[in-house]
Amino acid sequence: MTFSTDYNTNELMAVIVSKQIKNDDVVFIGVGIPLLAGILAVTTHAPNAILIYEGGGIGARTRRLPWTISDNPTTDNALAAQTMWRVFSDQQRGFITLGIIGGAEIDRHGNLNTTVILGGDHTYTHPKIRLPGSGGANDIASSAGRTIIMMRMQKKKFVRKLHYITSPGHLNGPGARKKAGLVGGGPQAAITDKCIFGFDSQTKEMVLTALYPGYTVDDIRESVGWDLKVAKNLEEVPPPTEEQVHILRAYDPMGFVLSSKTVVGQNGFDVFCDRVQKGYRALQEGSEI
Amino acid sequence: MRDMKDKRMGLEDAVHEYVKDGCSVTYGGMAGREPTAVSYELVRQRKKDLVFITDTTVDAAEILIAGGCLQKVECAYIWVGVVGSGLNYRRAIEESIPNYIKTEEYSNFGCSMRFLAGAMNVPYMPIKSLLGSDVITHNPNIKVIDNFYGTGPLAFVPAARPDVAFIHVQRADKMGNAQIWGMYANDDNICRAAKKVVLTCEEIIPTSDIRKIPNMTAIPSYCVEAVVETPFCCHPLPVSGYYWMDIPFRREILGASKTREGIVAWMDEWIHGVKDFNAYKEKVGPKRLAKLYEMESDNYHIPEIVLNG
Repeated sequence: MTFSTDYNTNELMAVIVSKQIKNDDVVFIGVGIPLLAGILAVTTHAPNAILIYEGGGIGARTRRLPWTISDNPTTDNALAAQTMWRVFSDQQRGFITLGIIGGAEIDRHGNLNTTVILGGDHTYTHPKIRLPGSGGANDIASSAGRTIIMMRMQKKKFVRKLHYITSPGHLNGPGARKKAGLVGGGPQAAITDKCIFGFDSQTKEMVLTALYPGYTVDDIRESVGWDLKVAKNLEEVPPPTEEQVHILRAYDPMGFVLSSKTVVGQNGFDVFCDRVQKGYRALQEGSEI
Repeated sequence: MRDMKDKRMGLEDAVHEYVKDGCSVTYGGMAGREPTAVSYELVRQRKKDLVFITDTTVDAAEILIAGGCLQKVECAYIWVGVVGSGLNYRRAIEESIPNYIKTEEYSNFGCSMRFLAGAMNVPYMPIKSLLGSDVITHNPNIKVIDNFYGTGPLAFVPAARPDVAFIHVQRADKMGNAQIWGMYANDDNICRAAKKVVLTCEEIIPTSDIRKIPNMTAIPSYCVEAVVETPFCCHPLPVSGYYWMDIPFRREILGASKTREGIVAWMDEWIHGVKDFNAYKEKVGPKRLAKLYEMESDNYHIPEIVLNG
């Protein structure tokens, strides 16, 4: 095993999220980095984990990266192709052990907002910024066995009070989820582009548990809108391995997720088809060796 | 009375006949199998004041919003996913351009159970999502009740009964028995919740081929009013086993959506500037569409037994 010296933050985040996925997990997986993390997990340390997509795909072993939670590969090489209401019912029933979600705003209890940004005279019906809404995030936050939150660190995102709770974390603290009637365990960790937070078992509040290479506690404190709690034995996250980075890039050869790259036009179309094809062919050939 | 043995009709006629201004419309699929061609036709026919009921819809909803067709959405998510933001939805809500759209919000499971309730002909379904969130604060149609059996609070979501559903499938017979390959989304319930269903399909096949693999039939013909054979109906969105998502094309729509002028010019060129969906496909280019088809068959395989019985 060799650590990579050439990786970006998205790749590191994908690797850290993938490590949260255990071999016996049944995982509700979202689009973007979580999706790459899920694929990385099942192709490396968690081959028996089952990835579930909201459209109804269960246990796919995709030959290329799905570009949405209902894209064609979400049922390619899969265990089952079912319905949306069925996979969400399975989650409410308790079969889904892990969900991975993100947000535009988070508070200290891991509640998330992906619906509206307010401020000034703005209201829910006339917001300053309209966002997509819950999608399946509220359902995952409500009922998955445990959830992992993925967010980029900015002070305007890590706020004292949310403009709107789209997806429940630990609500206002210990016991609140149970009282509300929620069956899932709530957030277990928040993974950012600078550090990792856990949640205190007593207060259900976020605690800084690990830093990425090059960041200090003060960097994190500056980006958080509340009085930051820090774990006693703060860890430093190791870089990804070369193998992990190689697999991620093979699944996302265009850098749609890892580098936020874009393609347009007929020329872009040809490059797009060619590069993605080369990526999955390399993976297939690699797996035959 | 329509011929119950042969429900085939053209897309233009189906949209004209089944969608009246002010009615409620829903789509099957979710990104995959969203009937984009129906959105183009609704915009081309300048339908107005529609209520769009969905779980999650991406580009097909953005086009309806940009075209000024909607007065309200009942949804969990309107955006364009990994490609970027729902710029037309944002402009409608934040600036009332081209018009303000009311939003009645749920979650994907909430929407799913609304369709199940509609499909079962019961007024609501209880779920354990949405509790403790502001989705409930701002949607009075969700009722939280500590239920009759004393087992704790539940959120009750109302049944959805859209006037018309457009559901795109891989294949169907001319009576409307529809087979879906890959993920179903909520289509087995949407087809039963809607008052009328217009099926669009990649190809029409003989009923004898439907009978060979009845487990693939998601929609029985008794739910269906009309069948519209529309190959590449979802472009630039994907259909499992048939064609890839055309990400560069979606990026172009997104780029055009950055300003109102941009998306109006895009619609003038790609919707109002072409006679119908066949002309749109000619404009996209048969070679490009064939490539999307070829890429799908290169890395996603529908088993031989399904294709040939």
